[in-house]
Formats: sequence, structure tokens, C-alpha cells
Amino acid sequence: MRTFRLLRRRRALLNCAPISQGHLTDRSMRTAISREDGSDEFVNQQNFDRAVAELVRLVPIPTESAEWFSDKDVIRAPKRTWRKIVLNPAVLAISIAVVVIAGVFAFHLVGQLNDFPGSSTARKLLTVAGSTRSVMLDPVNAEAGTLSDLFFMKHGLEHYDVPDEFADFQTIGCRVFDDDESQRIAQIWVAEKQMQFFLFPAERDSKTGAVLAFPGWRYIHQEGWAGAVTEHNGVCFMAVLKGREKDLEPYLSAPRE
Amino acid sequence: MSDRKQNLPQLYRFCFLMMGDLRKAQEVFNTTLREAGLRAAKGELPREPFWLFREARWRCLEASKTDLQPEQLEMEEHEIASEAASQIKQLEPAQLAIWISAAPDPQRTALALFYLDEFDYLEILDIAELKLSTLSRCLSRGRRQLQAWLDTKHSGADKA
Repeated sequence: MRTFRLLRRRRALLNCAPISQGHLTDRSMRTAISREDGSDEFVNQQNFDRAVAELVRLVPIPTESAEWFSDKDVIRAPKRTWRKIVLNPAVLAISIAVVVIAGVFAFHLVGQLNDFPGSSTARKLLTVAGSTRSVMLDPVNAEAGTLSDLFFMKHGLEHYDVPDEFADFQTIGCRVFDDDESQRIAQIWVAEKQMQFFLFPAERDSKTGAVLAFPGWRYIHQEGWAGAVTEHNGVCFMAVLKGREKDLEPYLSAPRE
Repeated sequence: MSDRKQNLPQLYRFCFLMMGDLRKAQEVFNTTLREAGLRAAKGELPREPFWLFREARWRCLEASKTDLQPEQLEMEEHEIASEAASQIKQLEPAQLAIWISAAPDPQRTALALFYLDEFDYLEILDIAELKLSTLSRCLSRGRRQLQAWLDTKHSGADKA
């Protein structure tokens, strides 16, 4: 049954055998012809077809119709201009999506460039600074630099020292609390521009436990609050005020990192 | 579009073989190209290859509907003779076109596309929307019928 079908298909292909060798591109056609090549019937068919095709080539083309041949571009699709390509809705949508993705990526990249060890804690403390009221702190009227002893004596917090740049500021109050990671945080409120200071443990390497130190001052800002952070002896100090980085700059003796 | 896909002289010959009449072939050819020009200007040209031939075929079939239809006769068929080539050489292109255009469709389309010697069989199947078995039957019968017509024509000429 299969053989019969194959023979029938081969016969069908031979009936459609191309006149010119140039159209002999199909493999099954080539196979069918190679098996039949030379038979009288097929040779007659090929001669017949060539003669008819030759006659068709002699069909004269009227001058009126031949005019079309010189103007082939008339049925060519108009060339795409840059303007058309750009205004194509699909291209436009993709372009906007790419720009948005690039913007988000750049935003995150810039954010990461400003990161430093302990920056996540510092950001959380900026939020704390925004929500703290003075009544929440224990009233203390002293120079900020003297509170190190208080933190050590009362709370056992070693090296919770206020840097020299801010040591002379008069305090209004202070407190020590645990953050959501059970880190001991010291918070000081000073009279100068309603500034707040935070002292918190510096970030450590998760494997070795070594302090991830960084030199000088680093700035962070969030929701209208700005902070300047420095690390010393495994403790970070952050001065916070409502404003911008430039409001903090005059207080810092060291050049900005 | 490649030049082969819009081989306009071959398109005209196709129209001529389909219509069998110079004036009608010109009319279909010009209308097809004029419409194609309008679509090109609007940027609505079809993407599929050989669409010009498909359009022209459709127009030829439409135009033929209003013509006088040939009487349905059982055509005589002869085996292809070895001297067929020399018999064909004595024909005029217009005679062949009239003979092809009188054939019923899809035989008419199959013969016209095949003898243009422009397409391979797969392309013809695509343009004429035929199956291989149908194309094969159309061409095989077409050859035998054309041979019978040639034989009749030449025997008549010999007697004369």
C-alpha cells in the first residue's frame, strides 16, 4: 500500500517536473527525476514542455504594458524613514519601557554607590529621628562629649563617644534603646538647630566578625532629613538634622568623602 | 521585493495566457498594477511572495465570469508524440494562449503558471492554492489534450 502511494507521488512529481534546471530545488523532485531520467515518456514530456515554454516566451508585450516595467518602484513599499520607525507604537512603547528600566537601574546604582557599612541602620535611624519628640528622652543638660561616660557607666556601652566636632554642643536629652535587630542605640538631642545624634554599633563582617570600617564622613538623606555618619572604634556616630547635606557640612572639620 | 517576485513581463504573459485576448490581458495587467501602486502608496503591500500573480489570477477569473463560456466537451486526449516539439513550433503564441484560456480552472491556472517557466511546482501549488495531485492531473491531462489538438490541427493542415 505504501509502495503504491510512493509510486503515485513519484508519478505526480514527474508530471510537474520543472522545465528549467533552475527550478530543480526540491529534493523529492530531484529524486523522482533521477529515477525516471532517460525514459522515452519522460524525454517526450520534457521536450514538449520546453517547446511550449519557448512559445510562451515569444508572447509579445504591448508598448502600453511595457511602460510599467520602467517604473518598478511604483509597486515597491515606501521606504521607512527614521521618523516613521520612531513613531511606530511598538517601537515607542519599547523605547519608553527601556528608558524607565534604565532610570530605575541608574537610581539603584546611584543609591548603591552612596552606600557604606551601616547605611541601612543609619537610614532607619533617620526615620526614628523624624518621629522622636523631646518628651521621649530623659532630660540632660550637659555637653554632648560628656555623655560617653554616662553611656558606659549606666548602660555598659563602650566607645559610644561623640566626635570632637559635636562634643561641645549643649544637650537637651538622651536615651538608649534597642532597635529591631536588638542593637543598642544611643540617641542625644542637642539645642543647636534641634539636631540629634545617634550612636550605634558599626556593621561587622558576617564571617570574620571584623568591623567594616570606613574613613571620614558619609552623608545620607531621607524624607527631608540629612545625616552625617562616621565610624570610630567599632561604633558609628550620626549627626542628624532636618534639612540638607549642606546644612551639616559647616560642622564637619574633615573634608567630605 | 525581489525582481523575481514581481517579474512584470512574466506577469503580463500570465494574464495573456489566462485571458487569451490581448485587450483583456492588458486590462487585467494594468488594473492589477494600478491597484498595487495604490496599496504601495498606503504602505499596505502584502508580505507574501508572488502576491501580484495571485491578484492577477483572481482578476482573470473574475473577468472571465462575464465572458462567453466554452461548451463543456469531453476533450480528446493523445499520448505525447516525439514530434510534438516541432508541431508546437508551428504555433503562434496567441493560438496557445487561446487554447489555454479555454481550459476550465484550475487547469487553466496550472498550465499558465507552469509554462511561464517562472516557478517551481511548490510555488505553483502556493499561488494556485492546489494540491500536488490536482496540479499533476491538470498538467498531465493538459499535455495530452494539447497533443490531441495539435494532432487534429496538423492532420487538418496536411489534408488541406
